[in-house]
Amino acid sequence: MAWDWEFTINEVLPQLMEVVYITISATLVAYLVAMVWGLVLAFARRSQFRPLSVAAYWFVQFIRTTPPLVQLFFIFYVLPRYGIALTPFVAGVLGLGIHYSTFLSEVYRAGIESVPKGQWEAATALNFSPVQKWKTIILPQAIRPVIPVMGNYLIVMFKETPILSAITLVELLGKAQIIGSETFRYVEPITLVGIFFLIMSYGASLLFQRLEMRLDLSKK
Amino acid sequence: MSAEETQTATLEKEEETQGTEKKEEALPIVRYRKVSKSFGENQVLKEVDFDLMPGERVAIIGPSGSGKTTLARLLMTLEKPTSGTIEVDGRQLWHKEVKGKLVEANEKHLHEVRGDIGMVFQHFNLFPHMTILRNLTEAPVKVLGLSKEEARERAMGMLEKVGLTDKAKAYPANLSGGQQQRVAIARALVMRPKVMLFDEPTSALDPETVGEVLDVIKEIAAEGEMAMMLITHEMSFARDVSDRVAFFDEGCIQEQGPPSKLFVQPESERLQSFLSRFNLGEENSQ
Amino acid sequence: MVPIDVIAHIFDRLLPGAAVTVQLTVLSAILAFFLSFLGGFGRLSKFRIIRFVSAFLVEFFRGTSLLVQLFWLYFALPLLGLELPTGLVGILALGINYGAYGSEVVRSAILSIPQGQTEAGIALNMTPGQRMRLIILPQAFRTMLPSFGNLLIELLKGTALVSLITIPDMTFEAKSMRTNAEEYTLQIFGILLILYFIIGYPLSLLTRWAERRFSVGRS
Repeated sequence: MAWDWEFTINEVLPQLMEVVYITISATLVAYLVAMVWGLVLAFARRSQFRPLSVAAYWFVQFIRTTPPLVQLFFIFYVLPRYGIALTPFVAGVLGLGIHYSTFLSEVYRAGIESVPKGQWEAATALNFSPVQKWKTIILPQAIRPVIPVMGNYLIVMFKETPILSAITLVELLGKAQIIGSETFRYVEPITLVGIFFLIMSYGASLLFQRLEMRLDLSKK
Repeated sequence: MSAEETQTATLEKEEETQGTEKKEEALPIVRYRKVSKSFGENQVLKEVDFDLMPGERVAIIGPSGSGKTTLARLLMTLEKPTSGTIEVDGRQLWHKEVKGKLVEANEKHLHEVRGDIGMVFQHFNLFPHMTILRNLTEAPVKVLGLSKEEARERAMGMLEKVGLTDKAKAYPANLSGGQQQRVAIARALVMRPKVMLFDEPTSALDPETVGEVLDVIKEIAAEGEMAMMLITHEMSFARDVSDRVAFFDEGCIQEQGPPSKLFVQPESERLQSFLSRFNLGEENSQ
Repeated sequence: MVPIDVIAHIFDRLLPGAAVTVQLTVLSAILAFFLSFLGGFGRLSKFRIIRFVSAFLVEFFRGTSLLVQLFWLYFALPLLGLELPTGLVGILALGINYGAYGSEVVRSAILSIPQGQTEAGIALNMTPGQRMRLIILPQAFRTMLPSFGNLLIELLKGTALVSLITIPDMTFEAKSMRTNAEEYTLQIFGILLILYFIIGYPLSLLTRWAERRFSVGRS
C-alpha cells in the first residue's frame, strides 16, 4: 500500500487542520491549570500548618507516580457518577493540568530555594509585608532561573495531549483515528500527526533555547 | 629496557650544565623547536626553543598567562602545538617521520611517546571513584601491564615515600588538598616517567599544606633520576630545587640561567620587576 | 460502604494485568537502557555523520509523541506490510521513546565529568577506550542513576498507553472490567491508581536515595 498524496492533501490535511486548534488550546489551558495549581501546591508544601504540607506532599507523590491516562479515566468516568459531568475537553485539561502541576510545583520549589538567604533577610530588614516580599523580591528571582524548565514542560504537555483522544476528545490523533477507521487508511493520517508534533515541539524547543540564551546574556 | 640504558649513557656523557651553555654531546631528553601555540586570536607561545637535559631540574617562573602551563600541556599531549616540533628522547612527539617527511602523529604514536612523560596537575585530578591504592595501581596494571601484585608493591612503596601508607584504602574526597596532591605525585611516579611535569602543584592548596607537598617534591628532586619541569610561583622553592630557572613572559623565555645568577642578578627589567614582587633570600630560605 | 469482597475481587482481576505491566516495564526498560547508551555515545562520536544521524533520531523519537508512535506501529505499519505481535509493538515503542530520552541522560552525564579527569587519564598514558571505561563511565554512571530512575517511573506510567492498543495490562483489565460493572467505576480506577503507586513509589524512593547518595561527599 503506497502513500497516496492526493488523499493526504485533499482529505487528511484539511480534516486535521480543523482540529489543530483543539490540540493547541488543550495544551495552553492545561498548562495554565498546571501553573496555577502547581503554585498552590508549592505554597501548601511550604506551609507551617503541618497537615496541609503533609497532604500536599502525598498528593504530589501520588499524582506524579501514577499514569496520567488513568487519572483522565478517573476524572472522566468516575465524576459523572457523582453528578459532575464534564466535557472531554474540560476533563482533559483538568487531568493533564493536575498531573503536570505536581511537576511544576517541584520546579517552583527549586526556584524558591535558589533565592539566596540574604535576599529574604534583606526583605525582612526593609520591613516588607509578606505579600510584598514574595511579589517584589522572592518570586521574580525564583522564576527567572526556572523559565527554561517551565518552557520544557509546556513542550512535554503538548506532546502528551494525544492521550486525550482516549477520553473521546477529537484532537489531532483522535481525528486521525476517525479518518483511519472510515477509510481504512491509517498510514497517512497518523504519519501527518507525528510530523506535526515533531515540527511543533522541535520548533518550540529551538525557540526556547534562543530565549534562554537571551536571558543568560541579559543577566549579569 | 634499552631506553633506560641510553638515558644513563647520556647522563654519564653529560657534564655540569651551566645555564645556557651545554656540551655538544649531551642529548636533551626534551627538545622544543620553534613551538608556537595560539588559542583563536590569542598567541600564548611564540616560537619557543627550549631544551631539557636528562636528570635536569628546571623551574619555570613568570606571570600568569605567560604561557608556562601551555608549555607543559603541549609536552603532555593535552594541547596540540599550532606549529613547531617537540622531541622526546630523540623521537618526534606530535609528528611521525614517514619517508623522511614529518606527518601528524596519530593516537598510537602519541601513546608510544608519552609513556616517558608524567604530570602533576594544579587541581590533582585524582579519580574520585577509586581508593587511593587503586588510583596508583590502575594505570600500572592497565597501561604498563604489571601484575596486580607488582603494581600493589610499587604503589605501596610510593605511598611510603609520600608518607601516606595509612590512606591506601581511603577515597580522595576524605583527604586534605595537600594529601591529595602527594597522592597525585605518587600516581605519576609509579609510571616511572623520564620527565615529570609539575603544573603549579601548590597553587590550589591551603597555605598550611603547601610545605608538605614541596617537601615531597624536593625529596624526589634530590634523587636526581628524572628530568623535572617545575612550573611554580614559589620562588624560594624554585631557587632551592632547580638547576636552571627559566623566566617566561609574553609567550617567550625572556631569561634563563642557574638560580644563583637569575635570582641574584637578573638582567632584564621585566624579570627585575617580576622578582621585586617576592622578597627572596631574606627570611624564608630553607 | 463498599463490601470487602468487591475490592478483593477487583484486586484479583487486576493482578494478572499488573504482571503484564511489570513485564512490559522491565523489557522496555532493558531496551531503553541499551538504546540510551547507543544514542548517547552516538551523539558524542568523533565522526560528524554519526553525531548527526543520532541527533536526528533522538529528536525524531522525542518529538513525535509516544502515543502517536504506538498507534503508528499498531495501525499504520501493518498496512505497509509489516505486522508485529502487539506485545512487541508496545515494547518497541516504549523502549525507543524512553531510549531517546535516556540518550540525553548518558550524553550529559559523560559531558559533566571534569576535563581534568580525561587529562589525568592521558597523563597516565591510557588509551581513549581505557579512559572511557575506567575513568569517565564509572563516574558518569553515578550521575546517570537518578535520571534513569525518574525515566523508569515515566516508563512505568507510559505503559498504561498500551491498553489503547489492546495489550491486556492493568489499565486494559480495569477498563474492560468497568464496562460490565459501571457501579464500581470509582473502586476499579481507585484501586488501579493505587496499584500503580505501589509499584512506582518504591522506585521514586530509590531514585531519591540515589540522588542523595551520589550527589554529596564527592569532589
